[in-house]
Amino acid sequence: MSSRKDFTKDKAFLIDMTKCTGCRGCQVACKQWNQLDAEKTEFFSGEGYQNPPAMSEKTFTRIKFRDYQKNGQNEFAFYKEMCMHCNEPACASVCPVGAFEKTAEGPVIYKADRCIGCRFCMIACPFGIPKYEWSKAFPLVKKCTGCYSRVKEGMKPACATTCPTAISYGPRDEMIKEAERRLTDYPDRYIHKVYGKDQAGGTSVIYLTSLPFDELGFKPVTMRPLPGYTWQALRLVPAAFLTVGGGLSAISWINHRKDRLKQEREEAEAAQQPNETKED
Amino acid sequence: MTAARYVVNEIKGYHRFVKFLIALVAIAAVASLARFVFGLGPTTNLNDTYPWGLWISFDVVTAVPLAAGAFTLGAIVHCFHIKKLEPLVRPAIVTGFLGYSLVCIGLVLDLGQPHKGWHVLRYWNPHSPMFEVSMCVMAYTTVLFLEFLSPVAEKFGWHVPMRVLRWLEMPLVILAAAISTLHQSSLGTFFLIVVDKLHNLWYNPLLPLLFWVSAICAGMCIIILEATASHKWMGQPNEGVLLRTLAKVLPWTLGLYIGLRTFSLLALVEGPFFDRPGLTIAFFLEFGVGFVLPCIMFTQKSVREDDRRRAIAASLVIFGLVLNRFNVSMIGMMNPRHIYLPSIIETLVTLGIIAAHILFFVLIAKYFPIFEHHPETVDYTIPDSFHKLDGGPSVEVKAASHGG
Ligand code: SF4
Ligand code: SF4
Ligand code: SF4
Repeated sequence: MSSRKDFTKDKAFLIDMTKCTGCRGCQVACKQWNQLDAEKTEFFSGEGYQNPPAMSEKTFTRIKFRDYQKNGQNEFAFYKEMCMHCNEPACASVCPVGAFEKTAEGPVIYKADRCIGCRFCMIACPFGIPKYEWSKAFPLVKKCTGCYSRVKEGMKPACATTCPTAISYGPRDEMIKEAERRLTDYPDRYIHKVYGKDQAGGTSVIYLTSLPFDELGFKPVTMRPLPGYTWQALRLVPAAFLTVGGGLSAISWINHRKDRLKQEREEAEAAQQPNETKED
Repeated sequence: MTAARYVVNEIKGYHRFVKFLIALVAIAAVASLARFVFGLGPTTNLNDTYPWGLWISFDVVTAVPLAAGAFTLGAIVHCFHIKKLEPLVRPAIVTGFLGYSLVCIGLVLDLGQPHKGWHVLRYWNPHSPMFEVSMCVMAYTTVLFLEFLSPVAEKFGWHVPMRVLRWLEMPLVILAAAISTLHQSSLGTFFLIVVDKLHNLWYNPLLPLLFWVSAICAGMCIIILEATASHKWMGQPNEGVLLRTLAKVLPWTLGLYIGLRTFSLLALVEGPFFDRPGLTIAFFLEFGVGFVLPCIMFTQKSVREDDRRRAIAASLVIFGLVLNRFNVSMIGMMNPRHIYLPSIIETLVTLGIIAAHILFFVLIAKYFPIFEHHPETVDYTIPDSFHKLDGGPSVEVKAASHGG
């Protein structure tokens, strides 16, 4: 796990959902770049027009649709679901073999060769992102890679490159500044909140929306970095080991000594007054 | 050939119940084979919403505290020097060793990449509670194996290992307690990460401590049940007097747990607590019936001294513990619109693991001296005095068997 504290220069996504047209170019680009199989889809298999019905081992990102009414008009709102590339990722902290890594560039990547398949990452991720290859006998975890192979070479992620309107990609501090600028410049257009600035301790994917986040299906999450929740207990491990080990050693030494002394005393007494004991 | 026939004849002589257990284990073996051939998806009801199911909730999260009797009793007998409970130690160690071996098997079945399980030893991640638990379970299974070797060495009259094991006994007991403390509590740490998913009734920062204390309670209750059952069905001596002593400790440990649990609910988490009727029922069954009620029962002399009532109270605690672990690791995280129920294969495998536990216990008790242990003949003071062992009456028997 990285012990980095400064994430301002990490590459981050700024996704302005008010500018999203729902073209789903990002979904297609993601499939292409990551060579993911197609899924069998149906109209209205999930809520509204969104497809496929859920993220999966074959779908790393997805545009969720939500219809609502505004001034008597039917409107659409969208939400791009993907890995949030948390600053301090829960998935990386719980993995027993450290298969997840927060890279210096920003993306949180998965090293399949290490993974033992315990699925703790899936339990731990506050956004429910890692998915599993359930169809395989020896499955691995799958999730958005943040297009690390592209970012490493100075390119933008496939989805950000394809997106005609809504996704900007750049250093996290600049993205946050840009988001805040839009909030002040167009206060009526947005819910006045930058999702991802502090969520789960801060993420490399930042959203602006016009509808309340929970209505769009954003997960309510804590503002504290998740690894801290387990670490506050785990850091006590060495102390607990020494306390219990040392405490029990001391207790047993004292108790054994007490017994031995008692025994010796009894033996001595017995040796001194052999007749008396017999009479009893 | 003759050896095989001997084994077959031996099995033919077993009680019907034992044969039934063998059948259950065999079915589970076939079911787990199916898991490897067809994969986790088709054979289990696990999916992306419920990546952990029965195998984690029972075979790991619940089985580990159920095997806590070994370390608890070891510490009570050897560290707190309540020597009269000694005859209970060996059966507890056998239970513990079996329990942990089966936890390892359950884990291997559940892992997606079991052949890479050893990676835990290669890529350390001390920030992961899972890493911690895996290391501890491996270490502790080794410790239990060494402790379990004692009756084996005695049976075959291996003198040198016996001496080494005697000499190691105290360090092993202390090591066992320390390692157990770590992983029993770290199992609770697992669920500290699911901060927005686990229901308020169960999520609280004291989970590790609660897991540890409840494991100690359950460990003692398992010993009570085991001794009662082996007296009733296996013709072993009645250890009622010893169990009475053990039952005297229980109101204290259970009381401590109830106190901590109440404190954690009232002071450390904010509600709402009772917003989902199903979970409310689960909570009251677990806490009321599984902890508070038996705690009150154990304070009664009439319960502690009566074999049957004592066993009932102990079973209630086991019920409470099992339900608690399921509530934390499964039920408390369930989405009411999308319920997980284990598949037939998952259920058969878990039943087989339970059956294997009982089966191996019965078999080991049949062939190894785990109940016929007479600690009175052995002096345990530090340093161990070998001459007592050499001169003791039991050794003559062993020497004879060794020669013959
Ligand atoms: S969103 Fe989930 S999978 Fe992605 S980095 Fe954060 S914890 Fe890991
Ligand atoms: S499933 Fe793999 S990546 Fe996820 S926590 Fe387990 S070992 Fe790590
Ligand atoms: S960053 Fe890459 S992997 Fe992630 S959603 Fe975009 S295209 Fe897919």
